[in-house]
Amino acid sequence: MSAKLFNPRLLQTSSRLVTSSTASSASPIISAANATVLRRGLASVATGEAAPRESSKPRIKSFQIYRWNPDTPEKKPEMVKYDLDMNQMGPMVLDALIRIKNEIDPTLTFRRSCREGICGSCAMNIDGINTLACLCRISDLSKPTKIYPLPHTYVVKDLVPDLTQFYKQYRSIKPYLQRKDPPTGKEILQSIAERRKLDGLYECILCACCSTSCPSYWWNSSEYLGPAVLLQSYRWLADSRDQFKEERKQALENEMSLYRCHTIMNCARTCPKGLNPGLAIAQIKKEMAFSS
Amino acid sequence: MKRLTGLQREVLSLYRTCLREARKKPEATRQNFIRFARDEFRSHLSIDRKDFDTIEHLLRVGRRKLEVYSGEGLRMLFDSFSGGSGGCRGGE
Repeated sequence: MSAKLFNPRLLQTSSRLVTSSTASSASPIISAANATVLRRGLASVATGEAAPRESSKPRIKSFQIYRWNPDTPEKKPEMVKYDLDMNQMGPMVLDALIRIKNEIDPTLTFRRSCREGICGSCAMNIDGINTLACLCRISDLSKPTKIYPLPHTYVVKDLVPDLTQFYKQYRSIKPYLQRKDPPTGKEILQSIAERRKLDGLYECILCACCSTSCPSYWWNSSEYLGPAVLLQSYRWLADSRDQFKEERKQALENEMSLYRCHTIMNCARTCPKGLNPGLAIAQIKKEMAFSS
Repeated sequence: MKRLTGLQREVLSLYRTCLREARKKPEATRQNFIRFARDEFRSHLSIDRKDFDTIEHLLRVGRRKLEVYSGEGLRMLFDSFSGGSGGCRGGE
């Protein structure tokens, strides 16, 4: 069995923001002597289970996590420090959070579901950047990692943001296919080129990372729809099968819903899936300008 | 009587709204709703008058709870302190 030299740089995902732990954590070099089967999936390779470590000295990494309990609302929020041994742990921040909850403090509260970056539950602010905890690698041991809930959101408890307004705004754009023709019972056909227009739009998991990174959304969250909802709104505008294009455009024809975007582009920087809401918003603006 | 501040007026307005909604509930369980509202407000009496953040948070949470409890189908409220009727959401 040929053993390959494991190249840590191959682990870099497309998102520039995922902090890489490969530099400092001395990724295991799978030697010919103990060549184990290369397991699929990046996470398992990165933990270094293939090559046993010589030193069992604990590598301590500290996390500072925002804590607040609504049962004692008069007590102000605080940052609590937790120390974990990196030798015993998976590479992602979500692994750390789960370990803290299991072993140190069971009252730590956070949302999580798929652990693979597809559900969008674990969106939070890690070291100043809005990402999914399950996709964010733990950075080097030298500095403590600061974990906050999504910025400028009401907090239900600890790291859980209140996203009801976000969901209400999503509902308001009517995110479903609307047809004027009566249903024929047959599939609504779409060419390959038309389907390609939806790439980069349908992958949105509604994690709210982009909307909560937009300063314009911070200051006007009640009226401005925010990059996530506008991305989805463009997804329905660009869908060739949808026949209510004019009505959808008409709904955005006011000062606040769409035009509070000032191309700050924090949304595209922070999207954990690598989507570009800012570009979609620009395309909506273009359609609005050239049609009416 | 000293003049009420804006925040105090909001709290009283929320309390009044809760009582009004309670009066719309069926006769048998009305007391449960009224007692629930009263207990919720009383449990936070100790908060400092100037602690705006906490008060605003509690107002927000209170309004959200009011939205939930004032639904048409919700007819009973289980009161943990009384022996009383079990709570169930009426016909959906």
